[in-house]
Amino acid sequence: MRAFAMGATAALLALGLWLALRASPPDAYQGEYVRIMYVHVPAAVSSYAAAAVACVSGALYLWRRRSEYDAWARAGAELASLFAGLTLLTGMLWGKPVWGVWWAWDARLVSTAVLFLLYVGCLLVRDLSEDPVRGRRLAAALGVVAFLDVPLVHYSVVWFRTLHQGPSIRPGAVQMAPEFLAPLAVNVLAYLVLSGFLLVERARLARLEAER
Amino acid sequence: MRAARRVLALVRKDLVLEWRGRDVLVPAGAFGLAVLLVLGLVSGGGPQDAPTLLWVSVLLASVLAAGRSAEREGEEGTLEVLLLYPGSREDLFWGRHLALCVLLGALALGLWAAQLFLFNAPARGWPAVLLAGTLATVGLSASGTLLAALLGHVRAGRLLLPLLFLPTSVPVLLAGVRLTEAAAAGTTLGPWWGVLVVFDLLFLLVGPVLFEVAVEG
Repeated sequence: MRAFAMGATAALLALGLWLALRASPPDAYQGEYVRIMYVHVPAAVSSYAAAAVACVSGALYLWRRRSEYDAWARAGAELASLFAGLTLLTGMLWGKPVWGVWWAWDARLVSTAVLFLLYVGCLLVRDLSEDPVRGRRLAAALGVVAFLDVPLVHYSVVWFRTLHQGPSIRPGAVQMAPEFLAPLAVNVLAYLVLSGFLLVERARLARLEAER
Repeated sequence: MRAARRVLALVRKDLVLEWRGRDVLVPAGAFGLAVLLVLGLVSGGGPQDAPTLLWVSVLLASVLAAGRSAEREGEEGTLEVLLLYPGSREDLFWGRHLALCVLLGALALGLWAAQLFLFNAPARGWPAVLLAGTLATVGLSASGTLLAALLGHVRAGRLLLPLLFLPTSVPVLLAGVRLTEAAAAGTTLGPWWGVLVVFDLLFLLVGPVLFEVAVEG
């Protein structure tokens, strides 16, 4: 089962990469830089999904105190910080040629940076806690706080100032040509499957560490 | 009723300790003033910069105040003794939160008065600034109480508190700056009041629940 999941993830990622680099045409305005979107958007979606896992598993751990939930919360927080970091990095790589700057004081950028910092803090609290059991509890609580605070940060910075374009895909209104939409959809799916695979593997590792 | 009496006793304890020791307000207030002076010097100190510098100094001083206020309880084993008393642990959160509200309110008021003189800022629209300050104080106090309690038994907790407190408080900072600017200009900004209220409600709802988790043995 594990080998099959690994193979399916690798195949989906390879297909996504092929679509992004070969099948997708260059954009009329952004040229070849549009290809960064095929990593940037899937990484952002994956970071939100991982943050949701960390929040739900953290809340379940605080309620039921089963180490199984803690393993999922840990995996979720690690992947949320990893994918938020990747989103920031790819966003900056895209921002320099398209916007002319590495960083802009924009809603999406700031709220993604906040997401990244909060989950880094969450992981630090777990590792720096004097008592490991207390560390698990505190990290679970911070996972819940981080997930609730980030939407609020996002909307407050949207009103403050904004440069990042609005969403191109909304329920019932897709403003993207099919030749870009299809590779993006495949890459989002591939990254979500990769996140799921990494989540399961990291949670398994965390359980093994706890048993040691 | 019993809970309210317990909460009031805790608030009284914290405020009496502060009155006798003055180890939260004086250092945090002096730090806030230093931030105002340094940033004022760097930015040129015009009245247009006053709202931003005021709220940055309030936020940075609040990190110190929240950390010190929680640390004081840990130093002499006060928290352990309080946990032995009968009654809900939520009362400990409310007691600490209300006492910190009073301290942060005094801190913000002092820094607001200082920036009026330092930046020659207009005091126009002061009722709106006062209301924004009160709402911000309630939210910062709730998030500060919760985060300081969560980091109480963590190595380098003092360093981690700003790392978590500052990004979490971004909505309060932005709303405070915008509402103060609007008050000085004689206009109103509806959505920013909503941001402050939602932030307060969020931390007042999750604060007591997660505080219990933080102080568990």
